Amino acid sequence: MDLRKLRKDFPMLPEGGGKKPLIYFDNACQTLRPRVVIEAINNYYLKSSACAGRSMHQLSAEVTRGVDQARTQVAKFLNAAKKEEIVFTRNATEGINLVASSLCFQKGDSILIGDKEHNSNLIPWQMLARRYGVGVKIVPSRPDNTFDLEAFDRLLDSSVRLVALGHTANLDGVTIPAAEIIKRAHRAGALVLLDAAQSVPHRKINVRDLDVDFLALSGHKMLGPSGTGVLYGKYALLEKLEPFLVGGDTVASSTYTSCEFLPPPEKFEAGLQDYAGILGLGAAAKYLLDVGFDAIQKQEQALNEAISAELQTIPGLTILGPADPKLRAGIVSFYIEGIDHHRIALMLDQMANIQVRSGQHCVHSWFNARQIPGSVRASTYFYNTLEEAATFTASLKKIRKVL
Amino acid sequence: MFCIISFVILSILGIFSATNRALAREALDCVLRRVTLRPCNTGFDEKMKARILGTVITRSETAARLINRNFELLSWAFFILMLASSIWSVRGLYLFYTTGSCNGLNQSGFCVFDPTGANNEVSNVGGTCPAPEIAKMGVTLQDVRLEGFPVKNPQAKDKIVMIACYHCEYSRQTYPMIVDLVERYNTSFTFLHYPVKEKTDYYSRLGYCAYQQNPDAYWELNKLLFTTDKAILDAKTPFAPQASLGGEPAAGEEVEANLEFLIPAMNDLGFDAEAVVACASDPQTKSAVQAQMEEVIRTNFYGTPTVFINGTALVGPKPYRVYAILLKGLLYWLH
Repeated sequence: MDLRKLRKDFPMLPEGGGKKPLIYFDNACQTLRPRVVIEAINNYYLKSSACAGRSMHQLSAEVTRGVDQARTQVAKFLNAAKKEEIVFTRNATEGINLVASSLCFQKGDSILIGDKEHNSNLIPWQMLARRYGVGVKIVPSRPDNTFDLEAFDRLLDSSVRLVALGHTANLDGVTIPAAEIIKRAHRAGALVLLDAAQSVPHRKINVRDLDVDFLALSGHKMLGPSGTGVLYGKYALLEKLEPFLVGGDTVASSTYTSCEFLPPPEKFEAGLQDYAGILGLGAAAKYLLDVGFDAIQKQEQALNEAISAELQTIPGLTILGPADPKLRAGIVSFYIEGIDHHRIALMLDQMANIQVRSGQHCVHSWFNARQIPGSVRASTYFYNTLEEAATFTASLKKIRKVL
Repeated sequence: MFCIISFVILSILGIFSATNRALAREALDCVLRRVTLRPCNTGFDEKMKARILGTVITRSETAARLINRNFELLSWAFFILMLASSIWSVRGLYLFYTTGSCNGLNQSGFCVFDPTGANNEVSNVGGTCPAPEIAKMGVTLQDVRLEGFPVKNPQAKDKIVMIACYHCEYSRQTYPMIVDLVERYNTSFTFLHYPVKEKTDYYSRLGYCAYQQNPDAYWELNKLLFTTDKAILDAKTPFAPQASLGGEPAAGEEVEANLEFLIPAMNDLGFDAEAVVACASDPQTKSAVQAQMEEVIRTNFYGTPTVFINGTALVGPKPYRVYAILLKGLLYWLH
């Protein structure tokens, strides 16, 4: 991977020099966008701004073709069996909500989730519990925050209709053994939904190899535009699901009293879609495949190892998750005893233009249960450099000395 | 304390920047919480502290450490400084309003509201116009005999005495204001002409004689002399008009007045101009005016205009309100 060449693809990244060049370490929130994605969006608005799948004119046909290609591209990206298994959404949250609202749950059913789920994979189930009396079971992690398969097995009983887990935790970067979990869940008769928002950008996901039933992702975390996402679902399951949002473009026909829904994915894509975003997402998926996940993971691992090694020398600093950086993808989440996490983030920004996230990262439940106020989260991506990592750790050491 | 300081500073900066306006709003929220005995939980102080430390740390870790450890103390120190400077600023504003200078009456130090010091500039005695005011103490009417000087409404309770020069730009600027005050508040008004700009005391003598001849018309003549272009006043009179009045100038004497202009003007005002001009050249007049000049000098004044309002000296051309406040108090416009 020619990092210098790749960085040139990202207009926001400094080409070199400058007093305080941008160091973007908030990739778990959203990544930067390469020029090809921006161009795809621009091209739609500049050259072919029209509706897809409705009108008969040339522009409409062009957009329909573009959206179809994007769907095919994303299907290839996930290795889906067919492009119709790809439902475009606004983000992973909407994908999870779609499943939560469309799967038919009954009182007595239960849903199994992890103990460090993002609110997007917690609140929808809490709402189901409130509405239908569905049980929500929490699988506790091991002390080092890795997934506890034994605890999972203990909770996986016949009442479990759905296992909904974050594939990679945005809290600490730990990835769960998804293939094994899915195998065991299926054996127990449960469906599996993976919140893959944090895994899809960083590792090759093969939905057919995983045999996952549903998988939700966000475009903005994988170089794509904001407001784009995907819900992958096995076609047979998607066919059975009732649509979540209904309206224009979800039905083949309607009378005053009834309607005939279109097959998936159309029946889930109500109303006029974010065509520019979808085209951008298709471009992002292609770009990531071109870069290659082996190179991406190698660079992220090198960055995490470099950062973790330095952070472990800082007194009072605790890294969330396992000590081994290989198990934490591109995320280093930490707190320093006695120092406010927001202050650290603000100082990093002020002194070295380093952008990190601070707070509870939408995983309030985990922090509240442990009475930890919050953490600083540095999340790297393949375009970050070891020099940036060194600047980050040096700045953090300075802050520790001063505070 | 930090919230209060931030609010003041950011409010000022907010005039020029939207970012600072938003921060000022946050600071205000923090201040309101504090004054209502609630915790400032907006994170504002934390945010600002981090920004300050983040900036300082790149220059000096030691300084950043000191600031971090003594942040509350420094906040208090800045708060006290801000309070003191605010009081000082309000005092300056008050003094400027009441005396025309931030530093007090007739004080010439720098004043932000009067950066050029125009309210204190005078035509120096024996100097050139304009000249910077030199702070001198003891400008007073005490032991100064004002009998014989032109006076209006001598019985009035409020008394204004003005030392001015027809050729001084600052006196010209001030005279109409003083006349307005005299008329509006019906005060007593004594006028002392002192020629700081002229080479001779001819206009003093001319005024002296005019007042002797027609006290009422004298004030019109005074107004005329303050409003007529100085170039006209300065024009030298040829020898002939002097001769035509029957007077014989002494050898080498030069009349420092434009009699060609003055004689018809005075006639129009109801004077016997020829008699006034003749009087002005009279040795007795010279002697009387000389005595008056010496009396004026006894006030210790150092430049024109100098105005005494009920005994308080105001040196230099002050704004109208300053004279009015001294006469009638802060709410002078109600009178």
